[in-house]
Parts: sequence; structure tokens; C-alpha cells
Amino acid sequence: MNLKRFMTFAAVAAAMGAAGMQPSRADDYPSKTVTVIVPFAAGGNTDTFGRLVAEELDKRLGQRFIVENKPGAGGNIGLGDLARSEPDGYTIGMGTVSSNAINQTLYKSLPYDKEKGFAPISLIASLPNVLVVNPDKIKANNVEELIAFLKAEPGKHTYASSGVGTSIHLAGELLSTKAGVTMTHVPYKGSSQAILDVVAGHVDMMFDNIPTAAQQVKAGKVKALAVTSLEKADLLADVPTMASVIPGFEATSWHGLFAPAGTPPEIVEKLSKEVQAIIADPAMQAKLKAMGVTPEGSTSEEFQVFIDKETAKWAEVIKAANVPLQ
Amino acid sequence: MDIFSNLWLGASTAFLPMNLFYGFIGCLLGTAIGVLPGLGPTATIAMLLPITFGLPPESALIMLAGIFYGAQYGGSTTAVLINLPGESSSVVTAIDGYQMARNGRAGAALATAALGSFFAGTVATILLAVAAPPLASVALNFGPAEYFSLMVLGLVASVALASGSLLKAMAMIVFGLLLGTVGTDVESGTPRYVFDVPELYDGLNFVAVSMGIFGICEILRNLENEQERSVGVKRVTGLMLTREDFRRIRWPVLRGTALGSFLGVLPGGGAMLASFASYAMEKRLSPNGAEFGKGAIEGVAAPESANNAGAQTSFIPMLTLGIPGNPVMALMVGAMILQGITPGPNVISDEPDLFWGMIVSMWSGNLMLVILNLPLIGLWVRMLTVPYHLLFPAIIGFCCIGAYSINNSVFDVFVMAGFSVVGFALSKMRFEPAPLLLGFILGPMLEENLRRAMLISQGDPTIFVRSPLSLSLLLVAVVVLGLVLSPSISRKREEAFTE
Repeated sequence: MNLKRFMTFAAVAAAMGAAGMQPSRADDYPSKTVTVIVPFAAGGNTDTFGRLVAEELDKRLGQRFIVENKPGAGGNIGLGDLARSEPDGYTIGMGTVSSNAINQTLYKSLPYDKEKGFAPISLIASLPNVLVVNPDKIKANNVEELIAFLKAEPGKHTYASSGVGTSIHLAGELLSTKAGVTMTHVPYKGSSQAILDVVAGHVDMMFDNIPTAAQQVKAGKVKALAVTSLEKADLLADVPTMASVIPGFEATSWHGLFAPAGTPPEIVEKLSKEVQAIIADPAMQAKLKAMGVTPEGSTSEEFQVFIDKETAKWAEVIKAANVPLQ
Repeated sequence: MDIFSNLWLGASTAFLPMNLFYGFIGCLLGTAIGVLPGLGPTATIAMLLPITFGLPPESALIMLAGIFYGAQYGGSTTAVLINLPGESSSVVTAIDGYQMARNGRAGAALATAALGSFFAGTVATILLAVAAPPLASVALNFGPAEYFSLMVLGLVASVALASGSLLKAMAMIVFGLLLGTVGTDVESGTPRYVFDVPELYDGLNFVAVSMGIFGICEILRNLENEQERSVGVKRVTGLMLTREDFRRIRWPVLRGTALGSFLGVLPGGGAMLASFASYAMEKRLSPNGAEFGKGAIEGVAAPESANNAGAQTSFIPMLTLGIPGNPVMALMVGAMILQGITPGPNVISDEPDLFWGMIVSMWSGNLMLVILNLPLIGLWVRMLTVPYHLLFPAIIGFCCIGAYSINNSVFDVFVMAGFSVVGFALSKMRFEPAPLLLGFILGPMLEENLRRAMLISQGDPTIFVRSPLSLSLLLVAVVVLGLVLSPSISRKREEAFTE
């Protein structure tokens, strides 16, 4: 056997071996501890969803699923780590609308290959945002009145956000471009300080995640004009949707589970099925809904289609609003 | 009276054996992580969150709160003993506490910290019970313009932090301000001084910087000169406070408590800012001002009371408005949401057991901490007799773990290592690190609020003088600046510090 033939033989044998291994690889999975990277700080929404799902995966698959927070650079640091880790299913990670659909356009360079991307496992949950206004500053009872009010005094009114390029900021830009109004953007570090200044009347309005905003609305501190999901939200059942005034207006903050690109499809599939089952569980549904969150639980393919759609949508908004790239 | 029935309701919750038990666990854990440099309450609470799912909400929150204020107690221990602030809020405690330890008064310094914290915790708890809702509305009045003026006052007052040359202190503040500009600009989203390093997008980490400048740098200095080793104390005299000590710390504790209670309510770096501010204030007000930086007991009493009071009152915006003022409070909000309680203005009326139970548990927790900490002082002090060849590697090991665990990032360990060299160079040239750290904290807040206020006012600078609150803060700053620059005082200052 000459060398060339030996090489061919070896390659074929290796391929056969690999092929033969594959079913058992997914069957055995997971045979050791799995790391779940959360690219944001502990205590936030992404961290909460990550921990809830990791806890359940732990119970169902009989291996430890350990959450590791890798915050920084709008989620890019954690996702960079995820992209660099071995694509064997033993490192998976959380991703959000910011880290997986906005940063792709917003950042000039990312610490991972944008084209290669990630293997989406499942969309876990999405949070509608709600447009809240300070009733002393904005004299409007609904979105139509708000648009008229803003058009009467262009540039005079301010909206707060949790930072440049966040889904909360871009929801504001989406409103500006779609309704043709001009407002001054006032960015904060995180949404909690921002909503505080809207409650106090230092800033006139903002889009905020429903769970925190709903409490301020119920206490009468701010007025809710519309929610940004296509359907009404349970926590604020009497608040109309933005889409009822501006057709197609959708800006939700979603959170899903990802694997590094190149992870064996059977493992992605197995994890996806488990996550879907976890989210479909009535107790989990009840828990998420009580938090004001919409449980999702999509398949891997549905998730990929959704991400592509979101990436295109936000790229357009960033370009139209001239948001400076980072 | 209403308040008594409320407190009674709280006591009946907080003193349930199970809640006392979880409170104790929280305090114990908090003390332990406070003692370990860098490993802070944020990481610990995050790791323990899943465990609290199975507990009733009151027990869960009482335990988590215990970790938070337990860490405030524990953080001062390493600051005093080995000049290594275990918590960012105990950075200032290290200045005089460590000098006290070098003079053989480590026990007294630790006792001062524990008793001052207990007093402050008690007062702040009463304040929380009586005045939470009105105080929360004061915090609401603090908009960007008021914050900017407060930061200006803070920067001006920070000159008082320095004990050496005024010019060098100013240089350090400016250096700190510049370090604070590293990272993504909040307003435009433009990265500054990041050199394409993603880890720098969120700026340099304060804990890593301060551990490098204070802790590791101290070890370097000790290794440099074997004869004059200062880590470790030859003789420890008297663990308890003398009558004279009590007389000296009386006012600093009271003033520190008052200042800490107020600053803690403001969202942002409450407890940390409080400890810096009260130290600067005492240095001006104390008759022993000249002793500051050389082991003045007031320099331990005031910031320790202030940071504990601030830690306590930082619960006010969280419990009354549902708005977290710092990362630990954000975690508490997360814990409440997971328990099915949405934090917000309605918690007091909807969940009175929880609200009042937590308040009373803060006091019982503080009591436990004093009981836990006073007998331990002897043990901590004995740690100083551990031989250097064991102590130094252990400290460096803990520092690395601590720096890594802030963001689970190796980069922060390098930041700490880099700043230990910077700190060493600065100490060789007789620059002091405290003003640098203050500039580093205040700088970003100052800039952010200045630009935010200007955005809101559409570029009209009169926004800073139109608000009475902002105007009065600026006027106080002008007065303080005048005092610092006035010839008579600066001459006295020179006299006091030259030797």
C-alpha cells in the first residue's frame, strides 16, 4: 500500500468512524458538565432566563449545566468566548436581540466571525417594551396624540434609553423614522436609572421592558401609551399595541440559547427539543407569564429565520437613524 | 403609633427561627466574602440566586440582604490588616486603618469599624422605617443637573483627601479622571482609549484597579525592603477601645452616619461615595486633622459608619420605587421577581410582611455581625503573625481569584497586575493613590451627568443654576474651593503636613 492510498484509506476509515460515532455522540450527550455562557451581568433578564433554563436542563439531562457570566461590550465578550469554544455541545450560551441581531450592524468589528455566526438552539422568551410618558411633560393619551404633540414641537422633547444601540434606543428611533417626528435621545447606562428620570420628569418618555415599567404604570407614576409587541401584553392588558397605529411596528427584547457554529446538528437538535419541552411546561409558562414575559420555545430553524429577519430590520433602522457605529 | 405596629409586624417576621437562621447564614457568608479581596457580594448573590427559589420570599431576601451588609463589615478587615480593601467601599478605611495596624492598634481599628458600623446600621434602619417614602422622593429630585453639581462638590472636596503636596493631589485627581474616560462613551457610543480591546469597552474595573494600587503594590513595597516590612505588625496592644478613643470617634461616627444615610439613598455609587465623602469631611472638621493618613482613629470611624449607613439606605429606592441603585440591588430585584413579587411603589402596601420583615432583619443582622465580628478580631489580628513567605503568596492568590471573579475575565487580573506597578511607581514618587481613585469614580459620573443635563436643556447651561438644589451644591463647592485656596488655610495646611 503506497502512502497515498494509505492516506485515502485512513481518511475514509476516520470518516466512517466519525459517522458511526455520531448517533451515539448525541445519545451520550451530555456525559459531563455543560457551561452556559451568559454574556451579560448577573441579575439581568438574560441571566434570569439562562439560569431558569440551565436549572431545568440540569434536571432533565442529568448533568450539571453551569451558568458563567461573561459581561462586557454589549454581549460581545461572552459571544466571542462562545464562538472560540469547542463546538461539541459542552459550551452553549445565551444571546439576545442586542448581541445577536443589533451588534452585527452596530459594531465595526466583532470578536468573532460575523458570517459564521452561531448555531441557534431555541428562542426562549421575549419581552415586549412599553412606551411610557411622564404625564406632566407629555400631554397625550394615545400614540396618535403623542405624534401630533411631538410634531408641534419638533426636537423639544426627550426620550431616555438604556444606552446607544440598545433595543430600547432603537425602538425610539423606529418611532422617529416611522412617524416622522424628531426627539432628543438621552442615553443612560442601563434602564433602571433611565426610568427613574422619566418618573421624576427629567426626561419626557421612554420605551422600557414591561416587567419594570408595569409597576410604575400601575402606581400612576407614568402613563403607558402602547406596547411594542404585535399582540397585547398580559401585564398591561388594556394598553394597545404600537402596530395598531403604525402597522408592523415591532420591537421586542428577545433571549435565546445558542451553540458555537459547527456544533453537531444532532446535539443542537437534542438541546432544542429539551428547551422546547422546558418552555412548554405549564409551571414554566406560568412563571414566565407572571414576570410579564412571553414564553417562546421555537425550533432551531424557526429561530434562525427569526434572527435573520430581526438583523435585517435593525440594520435598516440603524442606517435610517444614522446611529454612529462603534 | 403606626410605625410601632409596623415594626411589630416586621419583628414577628424577622424573628421567626427560620428567618433568623437564614439571616445568620447571610451575615456569615457576607463577612467571609468581604474578607476575601475582590470577591464581592454581587458575584456571591448571583451564585446563590437559584438556591433561593425554594425558600419563602422573606427568608430569601433576608439572607441575600445579610450577604450584602455582611460584606461591608468584612471588607474593612483586610483593609486594616494588610492594606487590601476587600470591598470598594472600604478603600478609604485602608488609609488610616492600616496605619493604625502598623502602630500596633489593629484591634482598636477593627473594633472601631465594627462598632461604628453597628451604630450606623441601627440609625439607618430606623431612618428606613420612618422616612423611606419621603426620602425616596428626595432622590427623585436628583436629576442630571443636581448629580453634576454634587460631583463637582465631591471633586473639590477630594483635594482634602490628600495629605501631601496640593499640586500632586490635583495631578492624581486629573490622572484618575483620565483613567475614567476609558471605555464606551455613553452619549455617542464611541469607544475611547480602548485600542480595539473588547474588554476595555466597559472601562477599567474599579475593583481591579484599587486592588492593584493598594494591595499588590503594598506587597511589592514590602518585598523591596526586608528590614522595614510593614505588612504584619510586631506588637498588638489592646484589642478594645480606650475611653479616649470613644471620645474621639463619637462625632465622626455621627457625622459619617448622617452623610452615609443621605448619599446611600441616591442611586449610583452610594456606599462607596459615602465613605470617600465622610473621610474628606472629617479631615477638615476633626481637631486631629493633621493625624489623618498616619493612623487617626477618626479616619476609620467615619468612613466605616458612612459606608454601612449607605449600604442600608440604598435599599430605600429599591424597596419604595422598585429601582435598583447599584448592582447588588439589581440582583435583589431579580430575586424578588423570581419569587413572584414585582418590586415597585406598591411593595409596602401589597407585601407589608416582607417590607417590614426585611427592615427589622437588617437591625438583627447588624447585631449578629457585631457579635460575630468582635470575638473574631483577636483571630484576624493573629493572622498578621503568619510568616511572610506564606502570607504574601496567599494574598496574591486571593487577589487573582477576586479580580477574575468580578467579570470572570482574565483581563481584569492583568489590569490589577498593571496597576500594582503603576501604584508602586506612584508611591516611589510620593503621589497618593486615594485622590486618583476618587477622580476615577467621579469622573465618568461627572461627565455623563453634565452631558445628559445639557442634552435635556437643549444646550442651555443655566440648567445648573435654575434648580435650587443644584445651585446650592455649586455654591457650597465654591465656598470649599475658596477655603482650600485661601492663603491662611493653605499655609496652615503646609505646616501641618510638612515633616
